[in-house]
Amino acid sequence: MLSYILRRIVATVPVMAIVALFVFSLLYIAPGDPAVVIAGDQASPEDVERIRQSLGLDRPFLVQFGSWVWRILHGDLGTSIFTNLPVSAMIGQRLGPTLSLMIITLLLTIVVAVPLGVVAAWKAGSLIDRVIMGFAVFGFSLPVFVVGYMLAYIFALELEWLPVQGYTPLSSGFWPWLENLILPAIALGCVYIALVARITRAAMLEVLQQDYIRTARAKGLGQGGILFIHALKNAAVPIVTVIGIGIALLIGGAVVTESVFAIPGLGRLTIDAILRRDYPVIQGIVLLFSFVYVLVNLMIDVIYTLVDPRIRY
Amino acid sequence: MDRRTVLKGLAGAGGLALTGGLAAPALSQGASARTLRFVPQANLANFDPIWGTQYVVRNAAAMVWDTLYGIDAQLQPQRQMVESEETSDDGKTWTFKLRPGLKFHDGEPVLAKDVVASLSRWAARDPMGLMIIPIQQELTAVDDRTFKWVLKQPFPKMLYALAKNNAPCSFIMPERIAKTDAFKQITEYVGSGPMKFAKGEWVPGAKAVFEKFADYVPRQEKASWLAGGKQIMVDRIEWIVMPDPATAAAALQNGEVDWWENPIADLVPVLKKNKNISVDIGDPLGNIGSFRMNHLFAPFNDVRARRAVLMALNQEDYMRAIVGDDDALWKPLPGFFTPDTPVYNALGGDVLKGKRDFDAAKKLLAESGYSGQPVTCLVAQDQPITKAQGDVTADLLKKLGMNVDFVATDWGTVGSRRAQKTPPGQGGWNMFHSWHAGADCITPAAYTAIRANGDKAWFGWPNSVNTEKEIAGWFDAKSVDEEKAAIGRVNKAAIEDVVYAPTGFFLTYTAWRKNVSGITKGPLPFFWGVSKSA
Repeated sequence: MLSYILRRIVATVPVMAIVALFVFSLLYIAPGDPAVVIAGDQASPEDVERIRQSLGLDRPFLVQFGSWVWRILHGDLGTSIFTNLPVSAMIGQRLGPTLSLMIITLLLTIVVAVPLGVVAAWKAGSLIDRVIMGFAVFGFSLPVFVVGYMLAYIFALELEWLPVQGYTPLSSGFWPWLENLILPAIALGCVYIALVARITRAAMLEVLQQDYIRTARAKGLGQGGILFIHALKNAAVPIVTVIGIGIALLIGGAVVTESVFAIPGLGRLTIDAILRRDYPVIQGIVLLFSFVYVLVNLMIDVIYTLVDPRIRY
Repeated sequence: MDRRTVLKGLAGAGGLALTGGLAAPALSQGASARTLRFVPQANLANFDPIWGTQYVVRNAAAMVWDTLYGIDAQLQPQRQMVESEETSDDGKTWTFKLRPGLKFHDGEPVLAKDVVASLSRWAARDPMGLMIIPIQQELTAVDDRTFKWVLKQPFPKMLYALAKNNAPCSFIMPERIAKTDAFKQITEYVGSGPMKFAKGEWVPGAKAVFEKFADYVPRQEKASWLAGGKQIMVDRIEWIVMPDPATAAAALQNGEVDWWENPIADLVPVLKKNKNISVDIGDPLGNIGSFRMNHLFAPFNDVRARRAVLMALNQEDYMRAIVGDDDALWKPLPGFFTPDTPVYNALGGDVLKGKRDFDAAKKLLAESGYSGQPVTCLVAQDQPITKAQGDVTADLLKKLGMNVDFVATDWGTVGSRRAQKTPPGQGGWNMFHSWHAGADCITPAAYTAIRANGDKAWFGWPNSVNTEKEIAGWFDAKSVDEEKAAIGRVNKAAIEDVVYAPTGFFLTYTAWRKNVSGITKGPLPFFWGVSKSA
């Protein structure tokens, strides 16, 4: 297993290199010019050109790419064109809010979606099943920003239970940290909960048809034991897969959620950087997200072996 | 006890267990009242007011860096860091003396050498500074508090240049910082203004914090825009960037923020209904909507095609698309200059008034030789003002019988494409939309968009000898009456040659909690004199 993990980690290097080249090329050929944005609306073409020169944007593609790769190899993600701050520092500033939001959403999803899926499978065809699946379809269909506005209106403006926006780090206290994350996590989690609940139901239904479940029932095992010990463990592979793949949904959804709830996370940083053509920041974030995907996939593969001992690498 | 308190208590108890007893600090009411939370119009993405000329940078910089002179509410330059000035009889030598006791935020005194370096950096980027450089003989420090600017010919608008609020303003920095190339960004934000920038708390795109500078010595006069005594009444000002207007509105209603600089028109009725919120016009100088036609290529290289568009465009259509049905927010504008300002003049603006004459416009367009070729119209969809104007223009051109190539894209792309001088079919363009702050359009001083000097002009590259001649006349004007007459002549010439198409004058609101007082109307948010009660 250890050698497998090491092999997978080594294999990330060419993947990241291809991603890096792709991202850099894409930004190079994309329309838009950061110098124009920096120079402001009233600037002359000469001003814009001088800024392009000072930023090195007038250099040939290969020179710019080579210089970027060289810096990356030395652990330097570069400096933001706009803020003049190191990209790694900017990402570091924004990582906390995004991670917090993703962790709370993930926990919320597991706590809500898995039991819902199990119950729906257990009561398949019943009113409870239809209600749960109805909510799942509803949750899956609503855009994140619509849910976000609804939640903010009800729980922040009308009831005044929770704040509308912002982020407080955990170091300032648990409640200040949590209260800013509840509404965004619910908004972001709706799609995710719906997806995981549906997959859990489908996987459980398949497992509940198996002979060993019938045997367990025949031996007189209680319903809870059958569902949560025998069935859920054997249905875990597709559930783990969809939770892992769902992290992609979370990252995408975080971009919108962070904007709606004014959370200073990586999603907002990404949007700001793209709109301003802040190339080093965009490149740094894409590299980070790519790395996260690779890591999540690796973790999923490792978890497979834990939930299903028949899987060997 | 309300539900939020109960939730807080429960979560606090759970949190204590989870975090090993991390306590949540609570701001006392007094501390809260000493912090003003402000939602700016845009993100403070950089903080060099000479390198980055965005309005939001200028607005933040006005707290941190002081200027030698400041423009007041009567649009007159007033002394600010300067104690006195003298002009030689021939008008070529200006000698300035600084106020005593001026200090930078790092504790160092403000010296004449700092001013010399700062003015040199500013002049390299500012349109008025760029007019001074060719006629400059020397700019030197005479002693610690005195500096001298010697010119080869008189420059009557010197004090206005040093006082104006158009970006870049002539902010004074320590010499070591001001020696940075004007096209490179500074990394230290040390000024001598009434607030210090808390760099450690800066999260670009989310938050910027300013703290009161205890050693700032305000002038004794009453504050008036950028002039007079800049008295800071709070300890701390937090700029909280909110990309989503609905969230900003909700945060203001909820009391999570105190002042929202620029609420969008759609949300203003909701804010007006809230008894805890005041809403008023923010900047009386407003904005001038515009679209620019490319004078280099057909069809708009022919003045008759440009005039045809001017004859047909209805400013009300544009203004309603921007501000909705609120009639208090707009007015028609028969020209290029900011209405209700001392030298305003709309001479020659009749073509923009009255009933629109489509038949005459179509006839004139045909005379220009237009024969149905595509007209590339760039529209930035991510900017509501440009998007609204773009939609109206597309409709207008179609009604005129033109073949519109509507390029809907983002502002970053429009910004770079509009700089292309290639033909429209090869990456160039025929028209794009923008708007100009009314504060920039009072006179030709900082009004880049009105310049018509061909290749050196703003995008669209209009070439109008008459307009340029009349602009030069304004710079030579010696009195307000002369200035006003000159502005009239500029307006007339610019309309005749259609330097660009003005789409009307519009205002925007600002909104604040009623426990905040001292907010004044002006071309930028002024924080001096603003206080907050608990």
